[in-house]
Amino acid sequence: MISSYLPGRTFLHRIGAGWKLLALLLVSMVLLPVDSPLVLAAVLACALGLLASLGSGAGTVLRSLKPVAFVVVFILALHGLFGTLEAGVIVALRLASLLLLATLITLTTRLDDMLDTLTPVLRPVALVGLSERRLALAIALAIRFTPMLVDVTRQLNEAYRARSGRNGHVKLVAPLCLHALNAADHIAEALAARGGVDGCPPESTDGEEDKVRR
Amino acid sequence: MSVSTSQFAIFDSVTLTRGAFCVFRGLSLALSERRVALVGLNGSGKSSLLRMLNGLLLPDEGTVTVFGLDSRKDQRKLPRHVGMVFQNPDHQMIFPTVLEELAFAPRQMGATRGEAEAMARQTLAQHGCGDWAEQPVALLSEGQKQLVCLLAASISKPRLLLCDEPFSGLDLSLRLHFADHIAASPAHVVMVSHDLDMLSEFDRIIWLDKGSVVGDGRPEDILPDYRSFARARARKLTADSL
Repeated sequence: MISSYLPGRTFLHRIGAGWKLLALLLVSMVLLPVDSPLVLAAVLACALGLLASLGSGAGTVLRSLKPVAFVVVFILALHGLFGTLEAGVIVALRLASLLLLATLITLTTRLDDMLDTLTPVLRPVALVGLSERRLALAIALAIRFTPMLVDVTRQLNEAYRARSGRNGHVKLVAPLCLHALNAADHIAEALAARGGVDGCPPESTDGEEDKVRR
Repeated sequence: MSVSTSQFAIFDSVTLTRGAFCVFRGLSLALSERRVALVGLNGSGKSSLLRMLNGLLLPDEGTVTVFGLDSRKDQRKLPRHVGMVFQNPDHQMIFPTVLEELAFAPRQMGATRGEAEAMARQTLAQHGCGDWAEQPVALLSEGQKQLVCLLAASISKPRLLLCDEPFSGLDLSLRLHFADHIAASPAHVVMVSHDLDMLSEFDRIIWLDKGSVVGDGRPEDILPDYRSFARARARKLTADSL
């Protein structure tokens, strides 16, 4: 789920990324064995309370969760058809609470806070030859370019509609790939102009700056 | 070639080929002025010349020296001293939020995250956009994006700022605004631009054609000739030669 950061200074924004992630981990572990619909409903109510604390941003969050809501309803319906409705309600409540909490954390935590918190966890990637810095940059680029690619798709579709009157659908895939590759070329150049993935070598030869960066 | 202290960049017998195409053959040039503009038709080598000043392109023969650094040997050190503003902000911004975008350069130079962010916030506040810090870059207007790019390129106080057609996506009021911004920069500036009105205050205009310097001097001496050259060329253009 790549959802952008919701700017603001609410209660949730002010809690450290580490605490939020730890709390989510604990809540997930505690909720798994719980199968009382009342307790689960109370947890969902708390999550909705936190959502309300975002103020005007709450509506945006709910809208962004629409596709997820369909999945939850689908699971509920499956249980209703092939199992018991009660089991469906339990699963749906549990899933909805956790998804809402996870989304709230994503939306109220800046990317680099999240990455700094996750860096110790990501450390094992160094074993397969990937630096944490590179991985962090890759994640940042993915989040940065998702809205851009959505925008390019819309523009391509407009160009297609202007000449055919219909939506382009699958015909836009090839041009979209070309645009993505072109954007990748440009951003690679911009990154190189700014010192590249590994940063500028220190000016002094005593290597002090080096320690700070790596 | 004699090296005077005021010369910040020296091209010495530079030959550059891109694919099968020879962009420069034996180009020698020394830059010392505070404001230098490169003009010329498409494909004349302006952008290539600019990209040799920060090591994005390396000469096949000859040397490019910027602030005493050889672009081939010290390629990775150059970005510390040379900032670059690109034509399209969407191709330049690497990070999802404004703060991260600005903090990137100081962190590249070795600052800690705290220092880098403090610097970024201070720069934003100085330019009247302190409340942009947490904004996603995708939601900024074109003018705001270009300001973020300019601030991101100048936050680490480069001694040379390269601008590759920085005005092309901007309306006239924004162009004038950014021309003032760039004029106020304490760094040397080398700019590629097709907007000749923006170049009248520059110290030196270098006119390139097919990889050769065909005009070099003050704006009032070079720009009128370049204008009439472009006008004469425009009349001769056919669809094939576009």
